[in-house]
Amino acid sequence: MKEKFEIDSNSNVLFVTDQCNNHCVMCCQPPKMKNDFDYHFKKNVSLIKSAPKATKVVCVTGGEPTLAGDRLFKLIKIVRENLPETDIQILSNGRIFANHETAHLLKEVGGDRVFVGVPLHSDYAGDHDRIAGCKGAYKETMLGLYNLGDEGIPVELRIVINKMNYRRLFQMAEFIFKNLYFVDWTAWMAMEDTGYATKNAKHIWIEPLEYIPQLCKAISYLDEWNIPSSIFNIPLCLLPQEYHHFAVQSISDWKTKYLDICDNCALKEQCSGLFATSKSIFKGLKPYPKSF
Amino acid sequence: MKRYALLPFNFTRISGKEVLINELGDMLITPIGSVQKIVDHSLDNEELYKSLVANFFISEELLPSLLDVYASRLRLKKSFLDDRTALHIFVLTLRCNQNCVYCQASSREENSIHCSMTPEMMETSVKLMFRSPSPSLTMEFQGGEPSLEPKIIKYGIELAEEINQQECRKLSYVLCSNCRSLSDELLQICKQYHVLISTSLDGPSCIHNKNRGREDSYEKTMAGIQKAREVLGHEYVSALMTTSELALDYPKEIVDEYVNDGFTDIFLRALNPYGLASDNEDWDKYNERFITFYKEALEYIIEKNKQGIFFREDYATIILRKMLTPYTTGFVDLQSPAGTVNSVLIYNYDGYVYASDESRMLAENGDFTFRLGKISDKYEDIVYGEKVRNMGKIWANEALAGCSDCPIRAYCGADPVRNHSTQGDMYGFRPSSFVCKKNKAIIEYIISLMIEREDEVMPIFRSWLR
Repeated sequence: MKEKFEIDSNSNVLFVTDQCNNHCVMCCQPPKMKNDFDYHFKKNVSLIKSAPKATKVVCVTGGEPTLAGDRLFKLIKIVRENLPETDIQILSNGRIFANHETAHLLKEVGGDRVFVGVPLHSDYAGDHDRIAGCKGAYKETMLGLYNLGDEGIPVELRIVINKMNYRRLFQMAEFIFKNLYFVDWTAWMAMEDTGYATKNAKHIWIEPLEYIPQLCKAISYLDEWNIPSSIFNIPLCLLPQEYHHFAVQSISDWKTKYLDICDNCALKEQCSGLFATSKSIFKGLKPYPKSF
Repeated sequence: MKRYALLPFNFTRISGKEVLINELGDMLITPIGSVQKIVDHSLDNEELYKSLVANFFISEELLPSLLDVYASRLRLKKSFLDDRTALHIFVLTLRCNQNCVYCQASSREENSIHCSMTPEMMETSVKLMFRSPSPSLTMEFQGGEPSLEPKIIKYGIELAEEINQQECRKLSYVLCSNCRSLSDELLQICKQYHVLISTSLDGPSCIHNKNRGREDSYEKTMAGIQKAREVLGHEYVSALMTTSELALDYPKEIVDEYVNDGFTDIFLRALNPYGLASDNEDWDKYNERFITFYKEALEYIIEKNKQGIFFREDYATIILRKMLTPYTTGFVDLQSPAGTVNSVLIYNYDGYVYASDESRMLAENGDFTFRLGKISDKYEDIVYGEKVRNMGKIWANEALAGCSDCPIRAYCGADPVRNHSTQGDMYGFRPSSFVCKKNKAIIEYIISLMIEREDEVMPIFRSWLR
């Protein structure tokens, strides 16, 4: 993580806590149960105060940042006051917003430049809860999404693809359009092979090669309904060419890596690359010839 | 599989599949026998089980914890009721300059008298329109041929604009015209107030002229369309067709005519049993032939789209919006509660308010069942009057015998006026209803296409809804 914010960086992070009320089976940053709210709060305030006014976006994350309660809303207020032109992205499981008042409070302090990225693991409650490692999580997340939508707070749905949900990617896309029609965009993500993902690899690891067809079908479907969608963390060489424009350079600049074979690839500049933090590399990588 | 409770849904069998449809209009296509297994609690397909739970067909809890989500979605499906009447039809005159063979509006000779709206009637009607609480109001001018009354159109629009300075509604205007006599003056009014022109085009000249009872009708209409497009802009002119008996043999030719004339959609409309059209000898036969005609035309339209020509069938599009999206449609003929009064009111040249366009056509044949009151009556007495209250008892298909358990009910609507005019009572008797038969045939046909030719038709259908 950076000690100073940079104007154009995609990794200006306000890390709020290591704690989480979900225990996702593929979590790349397993939660720690110590009281760290005040420590991070102080650090974050000084980051904000020293940040360039032209900073485009800050990402508020954790753990689960909403566990910080009042400190989170105070923090957002401080960002709002010090960086009035900066977008605030909050990465949250959304459960706290099952309480409508909390969603309303976020709108009050964050204004028009706050948006929330919420992971949805499945259209089926049982699968979502199993992946989130918490019974009842799905219900709270769904109600939270509705309350955020009701407050007019933009929502990005984040689907981390794993062995427990990859069979229903198309059903999920249909579910999203029908039941979460108000979301602003969706991001479909390959796993990072670290933390719990490595530990639980046997049950949850899946190679992109195995789910690319389902993923493409889901993305096409949402695209046909004009719901903007993007593919995160999957190198271009694994995707059919007509889906390249959905892929984004999603990996924080400080943890992106390319392989030696990537030096010979015509598309390296546009490619997300791989997680430097991943233990393994994806199967099937193959550079695009320079003449491409 | 866990214990679960059933949520309300209906089902039918189409193309070798069981099609399950819930109260939201969400559809699941499942193997034959699935419903039996759902009822028996003997489901053996895990993915199907998950889909049933996720899409509100069954619930793992006795009280579904996402009932509020379900309720919110149902509210969205019924949101056409939120603002009440938005479409206000002003029948300016019965005078007409054509003699259409199936005229539904009992039009009269061009030089007839005592069959046009006076400025005083227009004023009273416009004021009544503004009593509707809807934030958007559409004034639709009909006839006869309303372009024969340009002064009253101008007066009506200008009055509405003036009143709207205080009211601040979103106003829009539609002129239903055969385009035979669009004067420069009238087109200038249309341009100034962004009036949409909705014209009638039945197909190639041989069909159009025969239907419209004039040798030069096609030529005049096309010239009028061209003129209107030049003045107002291409997108301000739309066309509707009515399927006469003659037209039934020419589905492709009619579609081609629309494509060649630069239209991007067509509404394949069956004849209504009103006015002249109710003399039609054999409705049963016509109905059967119309369904065949519709399927052939739709197939041809799908073919056009596959060739890269964007062209839409409007009736299918309305049904598809109900099937495939969480949203609602503003189409008055397929709503429950019915579109009559809720979505449309008619201000007739005779000084009375009617429940729907069809209602005023019945009145021309001496049937005043749906005459709700005088335009000078109080809004409350019209909209909450006894006639509307009686219709209100039977205008939701959720509660009608023959509809409530119909598998495709969510895509259809209730139409007390049509029931009354074709079957003699507002409640209606579904087993012998032509409308029921026609809607069922078309909706089930669309579902069969989605099952049998999913990869081919779905991208096209979705493109129609964007």
